Amino acid sequence: MKKLCYSAFIAFWASIATLVAVQVLATDGADGASRAETAPITLEELASHNSEQDCWIAVEGKVYDITTYVPKHPVPPAILLAWCGKEATEGMRTKGYGRDHSPAAWEMLDAYFAGSLAE
Amino acid sequence: MTTHRAHLLLWLLALAPALVALWCLPPGAFATISSALNALGRLTGIAGLGLFLVAAISCVRMIGFDRWFGGLTSLWQSHHLLGAWSFLLLLAHPLLLALANVELSLNSAVTLLFPSHGGAAIWAGWGALVLMMIFLAPSFAFFGKPDYQKWKKIHGLSGIAAVLAIAHTLWLARTIAEPWDSIIWLTLIAAALASLAYSLIFARRASQFAYAVNAVHHPANNVVELSLAPEGRALSYAPGQFVYLSHFDRNLSAGYGEEHPYTLSSSPSEKDLRITIKDLGDASRAIQQITTGAKVRVCGPYGAFFPQHSKDRELWIAGGIGITPFLGRARHLAATGTGVDIQLIYCIQDEARALFADELQGLAQAIPGFTLSLHYYYQHGSLDADFLRYHCADMARRQIYICGPKPLITLARELSLTAGVPHKKLHSEEFDLL
Repeated sequence: MKKLCYSAFIAFWASIATLVAVQVLATDGADGASRAETAPITLEELASHNSEQDCWIAVEGKVYDITTYVPKHPVPPAILLAWCGKEATEGMRTKGYGRDHSPAAWEMLDAYFAGSLAE
Repeated sequence: MTTHRAHLLLWLLALAPALVALWCLPPGAFATISSALNALGRLTGIAGLGLFLVAAISCVRMIGFDRWFGGLTSLWQSHHLLGAWSFLLLLAHPLLLALANVELSLNSAVTLLFPSHGGAAIWAGWGALVLMMIFLAPSFAFFGKPDYQKWKKIHGLSGIAAVLAIAHTLWLARTIAEPWDSIIWLTLIAAALASLAYSLIFARRASQFAYAVNAVHHPANNVVELSLAPEGRALSYAPGQFVYLSHFDRNLSAGYGEEHPYTLSSSPSEKDLRITIKDLGDASRAIQQITTGAKVRVCGPYGAFFPQHSKDRELWIAGGIGITPFLGRARHLAATGTGVDIQLIYCIQDEARALFADELQGLAQAIPGFTLSLHYYYQHGSLDADFLRYHCADMARRQIYICGPKPLITLARELSLTAGVPHKKLHSEEFDLL
């Protein structure tokens, strides 16, 4: 058991170091956020993306195209689909029972940025 | 309840949150590689904390409670295993969650581990994990064999690690639906706090006894037998149990006020307690010089080496200082005049190291059905099947009790199993918990 724990301890830090090193060395920093300068998205346009095949949500003034993420989200798709085409800040902030999503989840959301919501 | 079932119950309690979480996972949680990694990442985190909290519950020294688990050393073996598995699961937890995010992007995998802004809950998780590495490093001898007192202090960091791990979990948990998530964790936290409070407030007071050294006897030049007279109420115990002894003699070179476990070698019918201590470390070396009148504190009794009631035939295998629980039991048998069918095989290097040999010979004469065989390593070599067969032909039908250095315990267990002794009839007392 002592050897197993020691091996796991070393393997853990080796894996973390590898992951961080690969991320630092990768130079594809240009993804996401490229549509920031496009025209604001209106509530009408947002409302038209309201299906499993085309799901946009608005959170705190920004619109995200989460179509590809819906099947990966940990809760059943029906819970997310209810927010497609809508203002979903409440869903992000409360998860339905008063708990905010993790900072990691918020940062993941940035990758799906589609544009700003029109005032 | 058998001791086996008690241990099983402990593991079930530890795994309960993970089992509920497994049941709460949405359908398709294992459909793709990344969703399976995410689900496993969450399950390892939940299971790891469950095991951690039950390890905390099982580390308390509750008088009497340890007997359900076959003694304190046996309970602590479960504590040790729970801690080790908790550590392994919690190491896997962040890695699995990060790997699950690689499918989205490498950035999101690293951001999940190291959020660039905010993320107090994630950093609380990191704090708990790094503290766990620090307080478990001596337990698993990551950097060599630890010093007992230093280990004890470092192990105290586990309390802070638990608080950080709980904060991290309650903040981020989403697998188990509310209110069950809060109910499960708050129940386990309450149980851990209750056992801690019980051991610190009630059990500590109930299990501490003031004694003074009444006589000092040296059966060998590196072994001391202390006779301790009660200063107030006296300890009540069973033969073969052990206590934590602390001395308050500033003249001794080490161990002032420190707790060290020693087996009682006296009969519970004696007025004084007798404790035999071999020089095996700084504190046990220092205590060889203790003089009469010195104040000590005894905390206990713990352990359940011998059953409370037994009419079975027994074979005792002792090695070196491991004779102490048997000496205590034999002295008690002689004092109570009980007839038995017990064979003692006492393994030592040579005649000069046979502690209490004369007294044991006398006890063998005095106790009906108690026989003694001495095994000298220099003369007979390692203990082997022939020696056991010659001195105890019917060992397969006896309860076997083994106490001594770890290599002897391992050897005697192997020889007994080969001779047809079933696992449940093998009992050994191991103090090497680190």
